[in-house]
Amino acid sequence: MAFLSSTKKNTSNSSYYSLLIPFVIFVAFALSIYLAFQSEVKSTFPKFATDAFTFTAWINAGEDYLKDHYKWITRLIASYVKVGYYGFEDFLLDSSWVFVAALMIVPSFMIGGLRLAILFIFGVYFWGAVDMWDPAMESMALMGLSVLLSVIVGVFFGVLCSQSDRFESFLKPLLDTMQVMPAFVYLIPAMFFFGIGAAPAILATMIYSMPPIIRLTNLGIRQVPNETIETATSFGSTKTQTLFKIQIPLALPSIMMGVNQTIMMALALIVLATFIGAQGLGAEIWIAIRKLDVGYAMEGGLCVLLMAIMFDRFGKALSAESKTLPSESTKFHLLPQEWEIYPIAKIIEKPLGTIHFIIETVFKLTIGLVAYITSEIFSLFNSDFAESISNFLNKHFYFFSGVLILYSISLYGSIGPGIGQFPESWALSIREPIESSVQWLTINPTFIAFTKGLRAYVTIYLMRPLDTYLTFMPWWYVMSAFVVIAWASVGIRFAFVSALLLLFIAACNIWTQAMITLSSVMISVFFCFIIGVPIGILASYSKRFQNINEVILDAMQTLPYFCYLIPVLMFFGGGVVSALIATIIYSIPPIIRLTVLGLSQVSVTYSEVSKSFGGTTLQTLNKIKFPLAIPSLVMGFNQTVMMAFAMQIVTPLIGGKGLGKEVFAGLARSDTGRALAAGIGICLLAIIIDRISLAYTKKQREALGL
Amino acid sequence: MKLNVKTFAAFIFSSFLMVSSFSSASAERLTRAVADWTGGMVTCEVAEQILEQELGYKIDSIVFPSGTGLWEAVADGSDIQFACESWPSYAEADEVMVNQDLMYDGQVVKSDYKGDGSVEVYTSGIIGSSDYFVPKYFVDANPDFRDWRDLNKYKDQFATPETGSKGRLIGCAVAGWNCHDQKRLDLLGIDFEAVELGTEVAALAEAQAAYSRQEPFLLYFWTPHWFQGAYEMVGVKLPEWKACDKFTEANNWEDCGTGSWPATGWDKDYTINYMNPAVFAKPEMANAKAFFQKMKLSNDDQAVMINEIDKNGRDIVEVVQEWKDNNKDSWSKWLP
Repeated sequence: MAFLSSTKKNTSNSSYYSLLIPFVIFVAFALSIYLAFQSEVKSTFPKFATDAFTFTAWINAGEDYLKDHYKWITRLIASYVKVGYYGFEDFLLDSSWVFVAALMIVPSFMIGGLRLAILFIFGVYFWGAVDMWDPAMESMALMGLSVLLSVIVGVFFGVLCSQSDRFESFLKPLLDTMQVMPAFVYLIPAMFFFGIGAAPAILATMIYSMPPIIRLTNLGIRQVPNETIETATSFGSTKTQTLFKIQIPLALPSIMMGVNQTIMMALALIVLATFIGAQGLGAEIWIAIRKLDVGYAMEGGLCVLLMAIMFDRFGKALSAESKTLPSESTKFHLLPQEWEIYPIAKIIEKPLGTIHFIIETVFKLTIGLVAYITSEIFSLFNSDFAESISNFLNKHFYFFSGVLILYSISLYGSIGPGIGQFPESWALSIREPIESSVQWLTINPTFIAFTKGLRAYVTIYLMRPLDTYLTFMPWWYVMSAFVVIAWASVGIRFAFVSALLLLFIAACNIWTQAMITLSSVMISVFFCFIIGVPIGILASYSKRFQNINEVILDAMQTLPYFCYLIPVLMFFGGGVVSALIATIIYSIPPIIRLTVLGLSQVSVTYSEVSKSFGGTTLQTLNKIKFPLAIPSLVMGFNQTVMMAFAMQIVTPLIGGKGLGKEVFAGLARSDTGRALAAGIGICLLAIIIDRISLAYTKKQREALGL
Repeated sequence: MKLNVKTFAAFIFSSFLMVSSFSSASAERLTRAVADWTGGMVTCEVAEQILEQELGYKIDSIVFPSGTGLWEAVADGSDIQFACESWPSYAEADEVMVNQDLMYDGQVVKSDYKGDGSVEVYTSGIIGSSDYFVPKYFVDANPDFRDWRDLNKYKDQFATPETGSKGRLIGCAVAGWNCHDQKRLDLLGIDFEAVELGTEVAALAEAQAAYSRQEPFLLYFWTPHWFQGAYEMVGVKLPEWKACDKFTEANNWEDCGTGSWPATGWDKDYTINYMNPAVFAKPEMANAKAFFQKMKLSNDDQAVMINEIDKNGRDIVEVVQEWKDNNKDSWSKWLP
């Protein structure tokens, strides 16, 4: 337990610090309270400075200049993207639904087995059953093309990053900005430059969803062990050869993970893309929301959710495939292998196994026949080639059977009697039950009494005091507090940078709004913390709870937030409290996930040692597991903060205040500069807090010797 | 020779893509925006059906949330050529983009547009009006409640945690609209606080939830709108609007007296259809332009259709077609 003694030594060395620091913090805090409550008005930056710093006017002038001179370039790019999109969309819409369904289900079966195939069948069925087939296809085309382009461009930049440290440090803040900058801010300008509809939507989605693939490509390539590269070099491969033959292939799992995240993020933008005229599920959801048709919106939201889960699981199965080849021990196709002990599981699995075997044999035989015929034909010219082709066909019998199935469906659709529309008798509707349960909760007296109590409590005891405290505290005091924290945790250079960033916010005359945003983020993160950490602890102790938890967390992250904004508002009333609750729903998953991760990563040895010394479960948790999980917790905290900031742009839709509202006000008045300044304000706050907490994590890790 | 699954997959996929077809555009084709509220949808659907069935145009439509973005798109003209039923007092873009007098029934109803003329506008016939509303059950329960002057008496019933002892007005819905709710309340001496919820949806959801709980609430709203069809609301009869030059930001919103409605001119809204001038100047668009100059859909007709769609859940195309079949007298006058 070397790390424990080392932390102890640290604290004993700096014992006088340990007294001084709390004292300084206490004095600073007391002074801030005094300053905040003795001032009569909200703190504002000196007027001469805000008047001189006309950032919004500069941006608007710059935008006009670009619009006048360079619009033709952007329109040209847009027209190419548009052609690609329409090709893709027409293909999906013109093909019969059976063909598209097969195009998705067959690969899922080949790669993920029966379990994944059932998920895909259900997903495809659901799109048709709730009568959202066409919108789903449009969304799929939109997402497919944005992901494809993001991956191409992202891998390119990721490789560049991995080759040059300077380029990496240049790109890093840019990537942060791309992820945190509210999409609303660039959606409207994107429209001026790229027209409306699919093209600007795809390009805006790329901005938002490219960072993970760049980051993970870079990371994957940099993680390739040095020995491997040296071996390659010593065998005489050039730098390019090493890159393409060794580094990129070895980085593939990491790149695949990036693709997965890119898909998730692209889907998150589907509804927002409606605001610049993109069609699809987003448009359906938005129209339903406009009519307060919660049930219909929820059906649309579930379509998006299913799409996200399908692609996520498909991607995971694809990247896991090479690692875990189906060993002889896993004979179950549907149920978990551990259930082998239950006889009922065996009864269910037996016929499935037989069917699987029959399908496999049929596939093998068919492709064997095809391979035989082709090889006979080719052997007339070249017997070596014929043999290799036959081997190839036989080896990938699954793949080619899939292709055969697809071609026969497509033939049947065009030459045969035709397939027609999704059968109406299969329709399914869950909008009525959703609608009525929301309605029931809205008028349920007990529930409403609870929500009203909560709302009053949060408003009076949390929101209002904190808002007042932060907005009335002099700007220079808040700024120096940030600078001191930045100095202590990161270093002198970052202290300067954060001072500059905060001065920018103040000079743009959005200080008050920035403080309100900060206060809402602080309160939401506080709630996320006190709700999320206990759930995480529970989940880390119970496997079953964790499984249920995972599904809910997935849903919370991928369900478009538009779907739950309205029910939240109906229960909690419009205003800051609803905004808070929506923020919590959206940003709580990381803290739960990383608590679970942190606690379950603590090696069993430590808990065993603690137990053998007579520690209770609670003691083990408190004294051993928690301290060791702190880096993970801080990481989760960090991500939660980021997501809470990102949500600040959405909450004005239901009564949230602060910088997000400023963005909307700017957009509504066609004032890009104003919207951009507020958007940058959100980003800057997020970046400062991100850097500080990352530096803290690093220190903790070093202290723990991890 | 070595074959590779990926090359094969790429080849097969691209062969699928090649089969797909592209559609070509014809000359008399227009694209319109589908509004995101039912009234606007109906107005544009009426226009579309007449343009398509009587005048032989082909109309495509794109769902596009209304607001400044839509005005910009129409001004640009390459993707959307026209849109319907903008409410000028809530739009800000019209001041920047319109440079012509607004005519209604042969009369000039607004003559102070000084924009750059990048968008052309004609009234749609629908006249919107705004007021503050309370639910009917509140008036029934309090028979001595007559109009806005009585609001202070009942302010406790309208209070919320956010507004403290004051009553709450669910204020003007959209951040971009210049409603000056709080100013108006203060000037009229109503001890209420205006709470802006940011979007129309949010304001409606709040009102609907309160209505289903039978709680009193004060709501800024406008007609015609499906909400009035679905829920029984009573206006508080705010005083008549009167132009007031002093009531501007430069004059620090100086009081105009409580005898008038102290605000921007939005008691009556001559709603407008707006289109791209360059596109509609083409000779083949002359008929469409003449149609828009004459179109005058009445509030009553629209209200009937809105009700059919939102209350009875019928399809909009079918409802409008039915109206068109039965009301030839009304719309035949709009043809060129």
